[in-house]
Amino acid sequence: MTAFVQATVYGLLQGGLLALVAVGFSMVWGVMNVINIAQGAFVLLGAYIAWEVNATFGLDPFAAMFVSAAVLFVVGYLVQRLVINLVVNAPIYITLLLTFGLQLLLVQGMNIVFTADYRSIPTTYASGSVSIGAVEVPIGRLLSFGLAVVITLLLVLFVTRTRTGLSIMATGMDRGAARLMGIRARHVYALTFGLAIGLGGMAGAMIGTVGTFNPADAGYYTLLSFVIAILGGLGNMYGALLGGLLLGLVEAWGGQFLSGTWVNAIAFAVLVLVLIFRPSGLVGKAFYSFRLEV
Amino acid sequence: MDRIPIMALSGAVTLVLVAGCGSRGAESSGGVSGDTLTIGASMSLTGSLAREGQLTKEGYDLCVEKVNAAGGVTAGGKKLKLKIAYQDDTSKPDTAAQLVDQFNDKGTKLILSSYGTPNTAAQAPVVERNGQVMVDAGGADDSIFHKGYKRTFAVLSPASQYAASIVQALNDLAKPRPKKIVFLSADDGFSKTVTNGGTATANKLGFTVLPSQYFPEASTDVSSSLNKVKGQKPDVIIGSVHLVEGVAIIKQAHELGVKPPGGFAETVAPPTPDFPKTLGKLAENVLSSSQWSPTVKGSDKIFGTAKQFQADITKKYGHTPDYHNAEAAAGCLALTLAVQNANSTDANKVRDALAKLDTMSAFGRIKFNALGQNVYKTMSVIQVRHGKPVTVWPKDEAEAKLIWPGTAS
Amino acid sequence: MAASAVVLRSPVVRRWWPWAAGLVALLACFGLQSLLFVGQERIVTSVFMFVALAQAWNLIGGFTGYACFGQVVFFGLGGYTTAVLMSHLGLGFWATLPLAGLLAGAFGVLIGMPLLRLRGHYFAVATLGVAEGMREVVTNLGSLTGGGSGITVPTVGSAAVTAYIGNDGFYVLFLVLAAVAVLAGGLVGRSRYGLALRAIHQDEDAAGAAGVNTTRTKVLTLGLSGFLTGLVGAAYAFQQITIFPDRLFDVEITVLMVIMVMLGGAGTVLGPVLGAVALQFASEWLRQNYTEAHIFILGIVIIVAVVLLPQGAVNYVREARRHGEYSLLANVRRYRL
Repeated sequence: MTAFVQATVYGLLQGGLLALVAVGFSMVWGVMNVINIAQGAFVLLGAYIAWEVNATFGLDPFAAMFVSAAVLFVVGYLVQRLVINLVVNAPIYITLLLTFGLQLLLVQGMNIVFTADYRSIPTTYASGSVSIGAVEVPIGRLLSFGLAVVITLLLVLFVTRTRTGLSIMATGMDRGAARLMGIRARHVYALTFGLAIGLGGMAGAMIGTVGTFNPADAGYYTLLSFVIAILGGLGNMYGALLGGLLLGLVEAWGGQFLSGTWVNAIAFAVLVLVLIFRPSGLVGKAFYSFRLEV
Repeated sequence: MDRIPIMALSGAVTLVLVAGCGSRGAESSGGVSGDTLTIGASMSLTGSLAREGQLTKEGYDLCVEKVNAAGGVTAGGKKLKLKIAYQDDTSKPDTAAQLVDQFNDKGTKLILSSYGTPNTAAQAPVVERNGQVMVDAGGADDSIFHKGYKRTFAVLSPASQYAASIVQALNDLAKPRPKKIVFLSADDGFSKTVTNGGTATANKLGFTVLPSQYFPEASTDVSSSLNKVKGQKPDVIIGSVHLVEGVAIIKQAHELGVKPPGGFAETVAPPTPDFPKTLGKLAENVLSSSQWSPTVKGSDKIFGTAKQFQADITKKYGHTPDYHNAEAAAGCLALTLAVQNANSTDANKVRDALAKLDTMSAFGRIKFNALGQNVYKTMSVIQVRHGKPVTVWPKDEAEAKLIWPGTAS
Repeated sequence: MAASAVVLRSPVVRRWWPWAAGLVALLACFGLQSLLFVGQERIVTSVFMFVALAQAWNLIGGFTGYACFGQVVFFGLGGYTTAVLMSHLGLGFWATLPLAGLLAGAFGVLIGMPLLRLRGHYFAVATLGVAEGMREVVTNLGSLTGGGSGITVPTVGSAAVTAYIGNDGFYVLFLVLAAVAVLAGGLVGRSRYGLALRAIHQDEDAAGAAGVNTTRTKVLTLGLSGFLTGLVGAAYAFQQITIFPDRLFDVEITVLMVIMVMLGGAGTVLGPVLGAVALQFASEWLRQNYTEAHIFILGIVIIVAVVLLPQGAVNYVREARRHGEYSLLANVRRYRL
């Protein structure tokens, strides 16, 4: 029984952090119809920036992640504004090609600049754990989970309550009408992408603290983003959180009751099954799919 | 009718008339041009194996430097400069195999393997077909050598030895003797062979082996396997893993409160420089097996002793050598010595010279059995102390006594 | 006579010209073989392989507009079917080749039925989930497939029913497969069936209202696409001799297929061919000449190509000839935000 509870707790903590990786990806795909294959690469970039800041200035990674977020926000804004905006009106999967090229660039760039050695951001406390009964709750993961949930909720508030957030939603719903209302679509798109990447970078910094990272992990985090975003429903931030938690749980329980090697197979089976019965994801709404573009 | 199609038609017909059947085959000039001997090496410079590929390249580069400093390679009465032509196989087996064919095109018949069992397993049949010869410095799985290939020789000890050596060391040195051992293994071929070898030795020596737990290769999350063994209270946890899973086991075991009284042992990961860097204090006293350690007995004219090799790598690359550096250098050395012994760069003569090779080196004994494996060299068992691997077994190479029970705090 | 920018060709020429050109290209490729060294031959063989794969993907992703991100599952299933049948049952390769294709095609029909109900994005990721899941399943069925240790097709000794056909043989085999795939693409493109696919792509509801049985058409297309891909996978498994699940179900193969089709021009027959040839040669050339940085440069090349030709090369040429507007910068301006 203890093992089951332990697995559940661990899976939830893991899932919350992974949700933060995917929430930006989901937003960008849902709002702008841009499939960001480079999401995993940006997440790792955030981890590397946090590592460098930690190594040079001794800043704790949970503080350094804000530096990662800021840097990646600027990078994301510029990338969208200067590059991705150029192909937004093209056939849908062209943006996928563009971001794929971007991913090649980023991963190889990180390989060259940071070398392929495996890193982890050292802290004195993150590997320790708090015992609640017979269950161990790792501190680093607990912090990451808490921050991920809080940030996702803040994001939802931002998007639904502030003017800028609403303009993002509006542009996502109907770009032509938004422009007619005076919203600068190019700027809003760039803002959205920057936000998404910034969040990914923050997640990356936290991942770098609780685990190890290496440029070759980029593909794994992108795949995760795909799964979680679709599971939850594109463009829906609650959905991303839910999808992440579900994924974490499924993997934890799957590993607990079956041989550990079936974990991934189960996760993908769950994804396919959810989609068969709920074609728009767990909490996804259909209306993001029909979009009038001007 | 339009003119353009007619022109295209006639142009293409001309091309077809050149047709024959089959390709032009390959040139074969033995890889020697001028006074340089070129060896082909497809490396994983990018992709998931980039880290290990980089370490392997460091070993090759040092070998080239040392061989040329000693005057080069003598063959056919001439002194040739050694050069290694690198190509990036992006960590993919089919690319690695294709590169061997491309090397063959250029007449490069002497090949150093890529890193890892899948890549090497893909290269071996191509080498066999083309009449090239390959020294394997990175693929340890025994299965490569049970397919009847005669032109691939591995300088490293086979995979079945990796965990078996650790178990043997525990048997010889650990007092009080641990009773229950459990293997946490990745599910790729290499790791499974390691686990099987370790389990067999453990059973033979009278240990109780709990059911092994498997997890997907390259997973960063092994918590479910750890959770399962926590209740079984093993004395020692042995990980048949690579770097990523190895670090994950130690880290997550600490998080989940899995504390076997005898501590942890892992393959591959602990001797690498990244292991103590990512784990800090948690890496202390973890056991591992290594293809090489600085106290290995033996020396050769190119690298000197093992300690000399250690100093050279540290000076050139700024980190203590791990066994990937050493096994790569050994592979290059074996090929060079075979060329010198055969006094020729012809692939068949080099192949025969490799089959007959029996020499001591900074890497230990290099000799191949009939299948092409180096079963004449024992692996060293090391323990991580203050972030550095220290040899504790076999007794005649030990630098220090085993700290027992080793604990991961 | 109106000053028209459109070049008129007689209807007869327009109908058989592409087929003749295709036949000539095929013969030329046969002829090319004798000019190549073995290593170069392998590169060209891999180009043919990707031409076939890209064409197969184009059927479901380009014509029908249902981007299947899990296409590699057919590749892997075809490869593993061949490997398993050859090593466990001792069948010859030529017997397993059609079986592999049929199994992959049947799998396509099987997953098509529930999944083709999903809209574009969700369909894409659902198929991705299927592909990744299948990889894990294959890894776990160790006794059948060898699992993580891989499986070896018997090519030496008495167990080898089919002699290894060698680099020369594979050149011809992949060339034939590529020709078959291009032929399939061409036939589909010019038939009523192809019109139905395009109609589904443009407006599925209207197509349904016009009398197209959209479900059956889509499922059949996925099955056909799977069949062709499975054939290629089988040939690949034989060529590689030892195969591993990681490589045979690698999502990167799907991504490459998508890139080749989109860069070349989705929904055209020539597009995937051009895309496959261009991308493979570019990445090979870069790898041989820039050992350290070739992936970095490839990334830049792809980005530039995508920005300049967002609709794909063949579509760009068609639109340019129709409007007389050849400027690449004008092209960029048309598609940007």
